[in-house]
Amino acid sequence: MTGPAAGARRTAAAALGLALAAALAGCGGGGGGGDDRPELSVSGAYVPQPPTPDMAAGYVTVTNKGGAADRLTSVTTPLAAEVTMHTTIGTRMKRVASLKVPADGELRLATGGDHLMLTNLTHKPKVGDKVSLTLHFASSDPIEIKVPVEPTTYRPKD
Amino acid sequence: MRTTYLGAALVTAAALTLTACGGSGGGDGDKAEQAAEVSGGNTKPGHAIVLDRPKAKPDLVLTDTDGKKYDLVKETKGRPTLVYFGYTYCPDVCSLVMSNIGIAEKKLPKAERDKLQVVFVTTDPARDTPKRMRSWLDGQGGKDFVGLTGDFDTIQAAARPLGILVEKPKKEKDGSITVNHGAEVVGFSPKDDKNHWIYTTETTADQYAKDLPKLVKGQNP
Repeated sequence: MTGPAAGARRTAAAALGLALAAALAGCGGGGGGGDDRPELSVSGAYVPQPPTPDMAAGYVTVTNKGGAADRLTSVTTPLAAEVTMHTTIGTRMKRVASLKVPADGELRLATGGDHLMLTNLTHKPKVGDKVSLTLHFASSDPIEIKVPVEPTTYRPKD
Repeated sequence: MRTTYLGAALVTAAALTLTACGGSGGGDGDKAEQAAEVSGGNTKPGHAIVLDRPKAKPDLVLTDTDGKKYDLVKETKGRPTLVYFGYTYCPDVCSLVMSNIGIAEKKLPKAERDKLQVVFVTTDPARDTPKRMRSWLDGQGGKDFVGLTGDFDTIQAAARPLGILVEKPKKEKDGSITVNHGAEVVGFSPKDDKNHWIYTTETTADQYAKDLPKLVKGQNP
């Protein structure tokens, strides 16, 4: 079930990525490529509109075209006092200190899997708003993106 | 990577789903027995899982968001009912599930919508006050949803025979909270008040909208 859909999904993610491209100026992944270091780009990011004003989820896909892995170590945003990273294994949802971005691969946050949890929000974000997120990595430079707020039931097309 | 991710997402949706999808990858060991009662080997992700052997509605008496006693069996007798065990400090799947139902429910004709009971039972009674649950449900189109809280053990005992995994949120040494919970929506027929259908986090609002008119009549979707 992953085969043909994968390409389409990647395309959709890439399209979303284009929309965000202006925000990617901080991307440290450019500069042509040795195989020995990560080359990161971010796409498909969104925050679903939360039902309560105190917390929200966040999703991004970090693509790594480089030959070395990296780790997403923290995320910051003016919207929330704290952003934590969570992973879901089986039915167990737990907080983690970092998430791996594999070499020549991607870290894909999504509903029911790895996700960001934004807590102590300054206000309740609404559909149409943009949320600024800065992704910090173990070795790459931080990447700042502007993320759309989508309806609570939004699912990226795949 | 992608396969791993998808696998994880499905496992999250429910071990039940996995089995129904033809079972790649396993859930936790203790879920296997639950899966055994699920019919068919070809249920698509998000489609209703129709149980071969319907399960009784749990005898559950809790407190609703008005602070009133709510007897699930009595209040939902003869009514199509969806029950979801979740918690409001769950920005990931819980609000997605409730919002999907909230959207679908509004597409029903009023008479049918009035019949349908959507019941949210907290698995985190320590943090989910009636007031918080009310604003959380209202915030995702569930103004007519019932929110229930009460004693954790009572809630867990009601979920268990339905095959829904409910554990107490666990506070880790670093202050973070680990939560282990099933995320299935349990559907009860108005005909016999039994649980015939199970939905997962994969179920979209469109899918619910397609199925609800049938569930309201007690028909398999």
